[in-house]
Amino acid sequence: MKILRQTYNYIAIAGLFLTFSACDDYLDINENPNNPTTAPLAGLMVNSTFETAQNTFRIGSTTSYYVQYLASPNQASATDVMDPLSFSGTWSALYDVMTDLNDMILEANETGASHYEGAGQVMMALNLAMTVDAFGDVPYSESFNFETITPTYDDDAELYSRIFELLDSGIANLSQETDLPIESDDFIYNGDAQKWIKFANMLKARYKNHLSQTDQYNPAEVLAAVDAGFESNADNAQVEYFEEEFNPWADVAINNADLILGGWISEQFVEATDGTTFGVVDPRIPYMIGATDDGEYIGVPNGAGRGTAAASGERSTLETGDFYSSEQSPILIATYAEQKFIEAEAAFGIDKTRAYNAYLEGIRAHMRMLGVEPAEIDAYINSPEVSVGVEDFTLDLIFKEKWVAMFLHPEAWVDARRHDYDYENFDLPANVNPDLNGQFIKRLGYPDSEIGRNGANVPDVTLIDPIFWDE
Amino acid sequence: MKNKISIMALLAFFQITGMFAQQREVTGTVTGASDGMTLPGVTVLVKGTNNGTVTDMEGNYAIDVDEDAVLVFSSIGFQKQEVPVNGRSVINVTMSEDLEGLDEVVVTSLGIEREKKALGYAVQEIQGEDITKTNQPNIVNALQGQTAGVQITNSGGAPGQSARIVIRGVNSLDPNADNQPLFVIDGVPVDNSTIESSGTPRGLSNRAADINPNDIESMSILKGAAATALYGVRAANGAVIITTKKGKAGDVRISINSTIGFEEVNQYPEIQEVYGQGFGGVYDPNSFWPNWGPSIDEIREIDPDAEINDIWRDAMRTGVQIDNSFSISGGNEMATFYASLNNLDQEGIIPFSNWGRTSARFNGTLKFNDKFRVAGNMNYTISGGNRVPHDRFMERMIYNTPMQDINDYINEDGTMKSIGTNTNPIYDARFSTFEDEVNRIIGNMKFTYSPSDWLDVNYLIGTDFYTDSRTEITPGPLGIEGEVPLSSEGFITETRIESRDINSNLFITLKKQWDEKWNTTLRVGNDIFERDYELVEATGENFVIPQFYDLSYASQISTSQDKRKKRLIGLYGDLMVDYDDMLFLNITGRNDWTSTLPKGNNSFFYPSINLGFAFTEAFEMPEVLTYGKLRVSYAEVGKDTDPYRIGQTYTSPAIYPLGGEVGFTRFSQFGDLGLKPERTTSIEIGTDLRFFENRFGIDFTWYKSNSKDQIIPVPVSESSGFSTFITNAGEIENQGVEFIIRGNPVRTEDFTWNITLNAAYNQNEVVSIREGIEQIQVGSQYGYAGSTVTMQLIEGEAYGNIFGSSYERFGADESSLFLNEDLPIVIGEDGFPVRNGEQLILGNSTPKWIGGLTNDFSYKNFDFSFLIDFRTGVEQYSQYDNFFSAFGIAEYTLNRNETRVFDGVLADGSPNTQEVWLGQGVGPDGRDYGAGFYRNTYRSVSENFVHDASFIKLRNISLAYNFGEKVLNSLSFLKTARVSVAANNIILYTPWDGFDPESFSAGAGGNATGFTGLGYPGVQSLFFTLNLGL
Repeated sequence: MKILRQTYNYIAIAGLFLTFSACDDYLDINENPNNPTTAPLAGLMVNSTFETAQNTFRIGSTTSYYVQYLASPNQASATDVMDPLSFSGTWSALYDVMTDLNDMILEANETGASHYEGAGQVMMALNLAMTVDAFGDVPYSESFNFETITPTYDDDAELYSRIFELLDSGIANLSQETDLPIESDDFIYNGDAQKWIKFANMLKARYKNHLSQTDQYNPAEVLAAVDAGFESNADNAQVEYFEEEFNPWADVAINNADLILGGWISEQFVEATDGTTFGVVDPRIPYMIGATDDGEYIGVPNGAGRGTAAASGERSTLETGDFYSSEQSPILIATYAEQKFIEAEAAFGIDKTRAYNAYLEGIRAHMRMLGVEPAEIDAYINSPEVSVGVEDFTLDLIFKEKWVAMFLHPEAWVDARRHDYDYENFDLPANVNPDLNGQFIKRLGYPDSEIGRNGANVPDVTLIDPIFWDE
Repeated sequence: MKNKISIMALLAFFQITGMFAQQREVTGTVTGASDGMTLPGVTVLVKGTNNGTVTDMEGNYAIDVDEDAVLVFSSIGFQKQEVPVNGRSVINVTMSEDLEGLDEVVVTSLGIEREKKALGYAVQEIQGEDITKTNQPNIVNALQGQTAGVQITNSGGAPGQSARIVIRGVNSLDPNADNQPLFVIDGVPVDNSTIESSGTPRGLSNRAADINPNDIESMSILKGAAATALYGVRAANGAVIITTKKGKAGDVRISINSTIGFEEVNQYPEIQEVYGQGFGGVYDPNSFWPNWGPSIDEIREIDPDAEINDIWRDAMRTGVQIDNSFSISGGNEMATFYASLNNLDQEGIIPFSNWGRTSARFNGTLKFNDKFRVAGNMNYTISGGNRVPHDRFMERMIYNTPMQDINDYINEDGTMKSIGTNTNPIYDARFSTFEDEVNRIIGNMKFTYSPSDWLDVNYLIGTDFYTDSRTEITPGPLGIEGEVPLSSEGFITETRIESRDINSNLFITLKKQWDEKWNTTLRVGNDIFERDYELVEATGENFVIPQFYDLSYASQISTSQDKRKKRLIGLYGDLMVDYDDMLFLNITGRNDWTSTLPKGNNSFFYPSINLGFAFTEAFEMPEVLTYGKLRVSYAEVGKDTDPYRIGQTYTSPAIYPLGGEVGFTRFSQFGDLGLKPERTTSIEIGTDLRFFENRFGIDFTWYKSNSKDQIIPVPVSESSGFSTFITNAGEIENQGVEFIIRGNPVRTEDFTWNITLNAAYNQNEVVSIREGIEQIQVGSQYGYAGSTVTMQLIEGEAYGNIFGSSYERFGADESSLFLNEDLPIVIGEDGFPVRNGEQLILGNSTPKWIGGLTNDFSYKNFDFSFLIDFRTGVEQYSQYDNFFSAFGIAEYTLNRNETRVFDGVLADGSPNTQEVWLGQGVGPDGRDYGAGFYRNTYRSVSENFVHDASFIKLRNISLAYNFGEKVLNSLSFLKTARVSVAANNIILYTPWDGFDPESFSAGAGGNATGFTGLGYPGVQSLFFTLNLGL
């Protein structure tokens, strides 16, 4: 009996130990089969170029209401009337791309892939600038590498120095020889390093020109960057969309055609281009926006809603087939036309003739890009409202024409704020948010996600506190 | 039959004669005291040995014993009796029934039956009858109000919608952590996860809904860590131990149950029915705004046919539930079987929502010989239905104007009738479908080998395998001129989930009776668990042919895949010592190894000790105290995490490939490389007191549990490089008391009345949060214009606090996290209350008190019972209310055209006297009020929408009639017949304005219970049931 009991005990213990020793191998199954631990540079390049274009759209889809390209068909819609909104999604998209760019820059630096490093720095500068221009002080110096879970907010003016440093190192890296050239993984330039360098210079001009209202403004530096920038529309930084993934403005247009309403044109934009405000009919209208069923162009006043108009056919909206909103249309990140208007603004106080010529060339470049007939281009350019002559040429004209040429682009909101929304006949929307004290919105509020997760660092601002270049 | 008994007796005789001398056969009949009927299945044991038998169908037994032996007669529901043989050869015994038997046997870990009095911890058992009585298709719902300290929350009234069960408060702070107990069927754990749909919530089922409640014999709730140490990490939140029905030796029994039930919404929000479509008081039949127009009287001056309907009541249906089940069971002394079939069909209150379940079960046992027994259980279930997305349905209800017939939703050509281009929710519910079908097999086998009377070797192996096929379709345009389609492109998503659990458990039990008084049992075992899960999803967009929904005919395809595998190994030991049926000591130890934690941190040991002392056995006590026991226990338990959570990875977003290129992005979640297991330590002290011969009893428990090193996915600033950091981030403490008071005020031949009250108080505190993290966001829910609320964890505060914006208070303590509602509201220069955007604590979503009161009456052939349950000290954010104020739907917005002076003080403390108008546009005073008070101010203040969500519910009331012998005798095939009528939730008493506050949108799997979302409304129901026994 006793022996029997001991035998059982031994068997039991031996059995348990057998399972025990096999433990380690049996449990070694925690390597993630769904996600790899490293990413190829090309994969990061694909996503960064695509998402940079998407971010341009994301911000533009809000700011286009502030600068009154678009207006909501519904009365007192939150974006139209500049209500506080939470931009958690846009914020997260901006930081996602910057995080990937951070990884791409580090990985490219280690492997000596200088073109990837350079292109990464250029896109980092661009995304950071979009973030600063929208929100002001934002996290950067403690960001991306998980040094802390509550990164501090860097001063917006200070971040502009980072942007210029990034662009300079980007240009230096892109100018080097490399064994690892960028290829078709680059949705913007298909790996053309020379175009990336021009793009970097164009951005330098754009951001140095943002400083126009500050004492750091140096128009000569802007012009120097312009000289190294784009030479024609062929240099435009843009991402063309895909059969599998339509241009996001095309999605807006398609939805609207199916009565999921959106992409309605503001009365402001229609009246600015149909001769009501400026007395000259702009031939670009049919290339940019849709007409009513009666072939007319009629906008909706911002904040007031469409009133008695039907849900379709009675107002102008974005439509597929137009330049900005076709299925495979490009999202424009930076254009030759924009650079020409930057040149005009920077040269205005130094060389007014250069400024005037750049202004006219900016209009032409935009029109050529849209595919406007040369005769129509000439007719518009030669109209007395446009060709006012060097003498009568004003900054207001630059801002007005640039506003048309930057249709749907977030830069238009930077210009509007620098120009104090001082466009002809440009009024506050109906039902405007009363907390704005009768002013136009000057920044986006910090998203709810940041207030919840990093609240101690989030600056206390209102929607009428300006970004540093707008003070 | 008799032959078999004699053979057994003979076998027993030979066995015993080899060991003992001077024996004699004792025979007898056991009868019940109340009715004098013979009792089958009574255990007859020779005291101090394992030698024993059970009574046969006629209540007879025969056993060979020593002349001076003592026989112990025991049976569930009867008081145990000890009878000395004293040389007699015939001993007839009458057993008296037990109210809540002292010798009640409960099923504990590993399916081991133990006498309740031997336990040093609280355990509560619910009988199958009490489960089926509720008519709840989901066994989790059926537990509502029946157990102390167990909080059941119905996530909504949709057919098949998940219900959440939490025992003694939340242990894990991870918003997605499963704080629910482990479900165990016949000794083998099964899967009770809720896999929510991506995108809009669709109210999917928790997998315990696949179990047919009619198959359940009993359910035990193991609460503390002490009760569950033997199931290891998976039972760290307690365990629900389900025992299914088994066949009994004797005649074949057939049971048939049929139920039909009807349900409707039990409470609607208060809505205004005066103001119609438009904005700023101007009527516009095309307006997006459903309720900011003028009053219906003014509208009728323009449009004489206009009317305002109650679209909320119009849109809802009467739900119907039909449940039929059939079972057959029987067996003999060597083998038994139980087989059942069940079919349930349910139509919900939201149109086109439905769910059904068909299940079949076979349970069998075989006693091969005295040493070797085998039992096997097999369950096959098909379940699923059309899951209408309640949030989307209800949101669309909000946007749709009441100036329409909401049920007039479809044109003759099949396109949608739409007002102001709004989507009609009923049209959407009908055509945007989401259907799931679960095919599930749960099977297990148990082998028991007892080579001698001191040794048992048990091996349990089980599998829980299911596939879940989900098809979601949103139609694109039908291609008809002028239609308003549901989507521009339309899509189909096919999801296939395959999950397989395997559980293997080997344990050896060594028993030793040292002398008359000392008894020990030692159990050691090994436990292995593996879960293999895979999800494959394919989405096709842009249908080439309208209304032809197939992946092959969609022009844009994207796919994704998710594979998960987890393994656990456990080794455990369990020593039980009892002294003279008076003192019970239980010591356990367990080590777990998990695949999900980093090497070096993946092995963890945890012990438990508990002591039970039946002091009435030891000391002389006053007569009234029949029985008294003290319990004390200490236990630790570890907890691991999900697979693949360690370190940094990259992922390819679903939109790729684009133009032949695949993009990569850094995965937004980072897992701490040194992640450790969570540890919960709990202490429990309790007492069980029975008075007046068991006619009154009190069970009281105090507990405290601390969970340290909480594994939490901390949402972090996206600017840090990740949006989520998984780390050991904090400690939570739960402390509380539980009472169970039982009474049996009336017990006569014709009339009995049993009453049970259970109540539990729980208090929790976030004791600490990891350094560098100030607060952790557990969840958030949208509110208009900055009224979004969050649930945040802050050191020193309770779990479940709801944060949001409020009205500025005069003289408020700047450093306080709490809103002080007693202070006067600050009124601005414009005459309106000032909004304070700072996030303050507006309420707490964890109920302080929960409980239930059960009353069972039986008078002759009638049974009557009702169950009331309640919760208090709980607040929730009502997203409905937020939307209702923003859209002018709430009844209180009727004052929109009034002028008033807001009660409050100006910034300098002087009383406000300024008169303002609440309406939109230019007021009677000539001032432009813009979008008006409700849109400018009211909707942007979260405080307005966080309300008291306490309730008292008549959860269940039922009346049954058992047909008497006269009827049964005339229908000779019938053994029993019972008809009953029952109603659920017919009385709801709550300060809450809105749908039943019990509904919440997160689904059973989530911990963010503080938000109602636009959840599926709660329901009340009425059931008619027929039970027949053949």
